Amino acid sequence: MKFQIPIGPQHPALKEPISLRMTVEGEVIRDADIRLGYNHRGLEKLAEEKTWIQNIYLTERICGICSHSHTSCYVQGVEKLMELAPPKRGMYIRYLVSELERIHSHLLWLGVAGHEAGFDSFFMYTWRDREVVMDLLELISGNRVHYAMNTIGGVRRDIDEGQKAKILEGIVTLRKRSEYYFHIGANEPSFVGRLAGVGRLTKEQAVSLCAVGPTARASGITRDVRKDDPYAVYDELDFEVGTADSCDVLGRVVVRVKELLESYKICEQILWKLPPGDIVVKAPRKAKPNEAVARYEAPRGENIHYIKSNGSDKPERLKVRAPTLANYPATVEMLKNGFIADIPLIFAAIDPCICCAERTVSLVNIQSGEETVVRLSELRQKAIERHRNAPPKRNAVWPF
Amino acid sequence: MTDAELTENIKQALGAKALEVTNPDRRRVFVRIAPADLLTVATLLRDRLDCRHLSTISGVDKGETFEILYHFSSPAANINLRTEIPKAAPRIESITPVIPGAVLYERELQDMFGMVVEHIPDARPLVLPDDWPAGNHPLRKDWKFERPQEIIPGGKS
Repeated sequence: MKFQIPIGPQHPALKEPISLRMTVEGEVIRDADIRLGYNHRGLEKLAEEKTWIQNIYLTERICGICSHSHTSCYVQGVEKLMELAPPKRGMYIRYLVSELERIHSHLLWLGVAGHEAGFDSFFMYTWRDREVVMDLLELISGNRVHYAMNTIGGVRRDIDEGQKAKILEGIVTLRKRSEYYFHIGANEPSFVGRLAGVGRLTKEQAVSLCAVGPTARASGITRDVRKDDPYAVYDELDFEVGTADSCDVLGRVVVRVKELLESYKICEQILWKLPPGDIVVKAPRKAKPNEAVARYEAPRGENIHYIKSNGSDKPERLKVRAPTLANYPATVEMLKNGFIADIPLIFAAIDPCICCAERTVSLVNIQSGEETVVRLSELRQKAIERHRNAPPKRNAVWPF
Repeated sequence: MTDAELTENIKQALGAKALEVTNPDRRRVFVRIAPADLLTVATLLRDRLDCRHLSTISGVDKGETFEILYHFSSPAANINLRTEIPKAAPRIESITPVIPGAVLYERELQDMFGMVVEHIPDARPLVLPDDWPAGNHPLRKDWKFERPQEIIPGGKS
């Protein structure tokens, strides 16, 4: 007997409402369908009515977690349109904030993964440590979420020697703690066994469905905009692209852990190399008719903005593609032939900002039309229960 | 691979199908093609230049025509295919046989510009609500949002 399970679309606490409709046979998902548009804000149309400067603050509000990613991508494009050469120090500060943002986003995600897998101490520890990086971001920008650091031609705030020392100190703490927790996670057989083999996405599928970011890299694709298309300062920095070949949720955890350690390295290099000088150049009010494609590696993957100017102080067209949209077709493939109990984990694994809140799932019996409502907490409980009774996967190991 | 070499490779691979190849910036190549050649060119780019990743598709309203940009990326560069279709008959072939991951972007084009993507595997609206009035395509330049008159049942007290 086949059931259809709708998940979503609305919950007041959600940042990103989405509707998922799963066709299940027993516990196994046979098909999944995604519906979007519950929170479409008409932002691209709105951007055509606002000036170049106003649009920085508009793009900052596309996402609450990677707010700096969208503004950086937008100003990169506008700087190209206006043919500005932003000063080195400004660039270093901009991408320092980028990397700190990646650290806070990945720590948040690792906590969510631990929580969904039933390893709540991992969640509490990573989220406690996330406060360290949130405090550093507040120290630099004055804000915890919308940093408002970027402006056309550079950044709005400089950092001094005291702040520099504090950031370096914070990075040392974070690295020490991260390494310790990842040691614990990697040596916890039940945690590794819960993640291994869940939500499979083969390399071929990831390539053909245009997956991006850690989702693609966990399927063995070395695609990272910072390496492939090194914008601004990234060609002066030494770092590696973390990948995994296991093509499952465990691989996505491993990739993010590797990226965290690389980000600590990048932050230190940026601070050691921080050149003296100005942080911003003056930008003109208008841009001559031109077009630019700006790409940026956000914590969730490739972010791309297409910007076209028409000679006025407003853009002719601003096209935004956020990384989560690119990962939806791949998510459908990951869910297929998985279990209902794995939905929260698989969905959390693409880091779509929606599983962090409590969700409601209603199970509809197609034949009788009877509807039962299951809260996500119960679903999670069911998942933990199921895996407690499942035979242990003895061959699952942390791959590094 | 330098940009000059890449531009040369593209010209060689596409031949007469590339109407114009420009390289305005480092690792950015724009190629103008005719709308009828879209699938052939996309296949050539995928097989001969390793452009297997489509970042997104942008539509631009240019008054009499729609411009569509397919932002591909290969490990070497970002290659943008540019094609124009008339606004009076906005029909374009679906690129999904070559790039299956393009379906969401094509659905977005249908919603926001009212283009007709032929042979698209899934033609449902993507971002617009179910009760959205037909023929309203928000990203067309002549579409302006007018807030509907608010009617309070029983009138304001």
